[in-house]
Amino acid sequence: MITPAIPKSWYLPSKPHKFCPGCGHGIVLKALGEVIDELEIQDKTVFGCDIGCSLLSWNFFACDSTQTHHGRTTPVMVGIKRARPELITIGYMGDGGGYSIGSQHLLNSAVRNEKVTLILVNNTNYGMTGGQMAPTTLPGQKTETTPYGRDPEKTGYPTKGPEFLAELTPEGAYIARATVSKYKQLKRFLKNALRNQMEGNGFSFVEVLSTCPTNWRTNAQQTWHFLEEEMEPVFPVGELKSPFGKGGDK
Amino acid sequence: MVCRSNGRCQDTQPVSARVVEAYIGEYASGKSEMAINRALELKSQGRQVTLVDLDTVEPFYTLRPLKEFLEQQGLTVIGLSKPDSFGLGETGAMLAPAARWALRREGDVIFDVGYGVYGARTLNLVEDAESSAELRVIAVINYSRPMTGSKARIIEYIKELGRVDALVANTHLGDETTLEIIEEGTRIIIECAEEMGIPVDYIAVDKKFSGKWNPDLFPVPVKWITRYMPAAMW
Amino acid sequence: MLKVVEETKKAFLTGNETIAWAALAAGADIMFGYPITPQNEVMHYWTRLAPKYGRDFLQTEDEISAGFTVCGAVQAGKKAFTATAGPGNVLMQEPFGMAEAMRLPIFAVIQQRGGPSSGTVVYSQQEVALTTYGGNGEGFRIVYSTATHQEIYDYTIKGFNVAWKYRWPTFLLGDGYQAKMREPLEMYDPEERGIKLEPTYPLVGLPGKIGEDREPQHLCNIYSLEEELYDVVTRLAAEYEKIVPELIEWQEHSCEDADIIILTHGIVSRAADDAVKALRAQGIKAGYFRPITLRPYPAQQLREAIAKSGAKKLLIAESSYGQFERLTKQEIYGETIKIETLYMPGVGIVDYDIINKVKSVL
Repeated sequence: MITPAIPKSWYLPSKPHKFCPGCGHGIVLKALGEVIDELEIQDKTVFGCDIGCSLLSWNFFACDSTQTHHGRTTPVMVGIKRARPELITIGYMGDGGGYSIGSQHLLNSAVRNEKVTLILVNNTNYGMTGGQMAPTTLPGQKTETTPYGRDPEKTGYPTKGPEFLAELTPEGAYIARATVSKYKQLKRFLKNALRNQMEGNGFSFVEVLSTCPTNWRTNAQQTWHFLEEEMEPVFPVGELKSPFGKGGDK
Repeated sequence: MVCRSNGRCQDTQPVSARVVEAYIGEYASGKSEMAINRALELKSQGRQVTLVDLDTVEPFYTLRPLKEFLEQQGLTVIGLSKPDSFGLGETGAMLAPAARWALRREGDVIFDVGYGVYGARTLNLVEDAESSAELRVIAVINYSRPMTGSKARIIEYIKELGRVDALVANTHLGDETTLEIIEEGTRIIIECAEEMGIPVDYIAVDKKFSGKWNPDLFPVPVKWITRYMPAAMW
Repeated sequence: MLKVVEETKKAFLTGNETIAWAALAAGADIMFGYPITPQNEVMHYWTRLAPKYGRDFLQTEDEISAGFTVCGAVQAGKKAFTATAGPGNVLMQEPFGMAEAMRLPIFAVIQQRGGPSSGTVVYSQQEVALTTYGGNGEGFRIVYSTATHQEIYDYTIKGFNVAWKYRWPTFLLGDGYQAKMREPLEMYDPEERGIKLEPTYPLVGLPGKIGEDREPQHLCNIYSLEEELYDVVTRLAAEYEKIVPELIEWQEHSCEDADIIILTHGIVSRAADDAVKALRAQGIKAGYFRPITLRPYPAQQLREAIAKSGAKKLLIAESSYGQFERLTKQEIYGETIKIETLYMPGVGIVDYDIINKVKSVL
């Protein structure tokens, strides 16, 4: 099968999309679109997006979609799923929304093994508000609110979401970290996360390492370097928990 | 007291040196009311009586506002008073430490236990409750309460409660109680008791109906009840 | 499906329990909640009863989540509700605001407790301002302030219906006394009473193939331009104001020849009713006026009661420090009647509190 250049589940009137040049969101959403097509779930998917750059995805798909509040995408998705278990719910958020203001929702929905799929885009900063420190900001990384670099003594170390979620969730959960620099793997992880919900196994979560050249103030080469050489050593990529086993995801 | 289907009742309890009763049952079924009335009745016979607030679910809505009044009547009341509970109302899950050892006191002991199945389990917190030969666990039933508003619901409810040694028939509708309401509820409760082989200790009837209520209507004794709860419930 | 109310009859209930039964009778599908006194028994009874009638419950991690899960569930087309109080009501203002903006038919029970802050756990009328105009919005809400258990039952059923008919967040504003108090009321099956239960419909998860049968839903809640939001809020305001006459409810009596009108809401109106009767028996011409809906407020009706009575004074009695008075003043701006106040924040008001106050100002 030849994958079309534009996924069928994309909503064309909203294209071209509004993300900055070089932003990783477009790559995540393209992979997600292709996965929705391949799994044939467009008509029963409800896509919910947080506040922040992830909000720009609100009319990205030709799927029923809803905007929420900052950090509250998880409970809105949980509410929809609890009310209509036959729907496929995808919550889409950034690192601030997921790991900071919405962390209690993320943590507790994981503990309850809510059968939702959450995708969290980690670009190490609050992008839409102008590049402040996020829970995922690397030690030493300069942001608008850490102008001398993040000092772990004062502000702690980067939040490792998939690691703590893997500890919190029971069997049946799917927890992975992907990166926009490895497209095939990203797509595979997203597909597993959705399959896991479709099969009713449990909570599904994928953190995606992404790029933010606008706030990183990096050119293309530096952007890619930061992602692969700075971020990935701190945030190891891979499946942390999967009901499908090794190789079972092919 | 056991009531058989032929309508005859007899005492099966040995005459105890002391009375030890725990009132359990549905929320707002009249547990506190029965416990207070029973304690005051025993007190009026010149007995030594301890009333224990074991209602950890809704402690200060029932006995707490009446504590001082009851102590003035000569009862020993184990329970937290309003100042003791300051700031702790949020959880409600509190127990006066003395309540745990209440069974080791001399004289009669009457327990006012929290509602429902979880309420009944607070009896587990009392030392010797399991082994006590004297303790009688009495479920208060008001037929006007929706959870115990039909024969099937009453039987289901009592089964959920676990240990129940006797029932009290306490059907009323607050200020709107009529003789017919008491009669219908009592009839149903006695039917349930017979079906389950549990005795009905007494029918609780507001004393304003004395002289109007026919005490021979059912083969179960009547206790005239003074309602103290409206004073506690603001 | 098991019938919730098998036969119409009088029963003896607490207020919180009444809400759970009424929500079942109203066809509520799911409750989301987080523990806080004095609403806990709403959850206790709902969780005991719901499974018997095929209904659902989720205890969330906090009130923010409880509010947002309700927002999600109603978007999915289910009758969902929550119950909270005090600090929980504060946290829920965020989801309540979303429901205002997105016209989500949520139903929430507020059992007012004492404040500010954690305050006390049982009684007050200090959540009037928060429930009517809380959040960063314009108060596009419907708020029923009940006084009796019968009203709690009736207005819980009505609250779900009004929420789904008009699609504004709808509140039952009670208090800890009403929550815990026991009194008789008549439980009935609304449909047997001829009360049609409003149908629900989803905003997301719609049937049909996207692109062939229908377009995808894109629900918007944030706007890029000031002008866009201006249009939205102006439209919301017009739509809300249009239905105000249909929503307004109030009670009044003895106002025709009154020298003083006693204005109360919620449970305090029971004391006011007793006080008016006692004052009349003593030859003092007192009148009784009580808004049942605090949003929208029966402003015109109150103005008319003042006008026809020719009363010189209006006594506002409330278990808060002027929240109800401020709400009233903004609604009857321009009236010249002298306003007297009886503020008893966080404590109950009984008939002789009002009687004494009336005698002291007449």
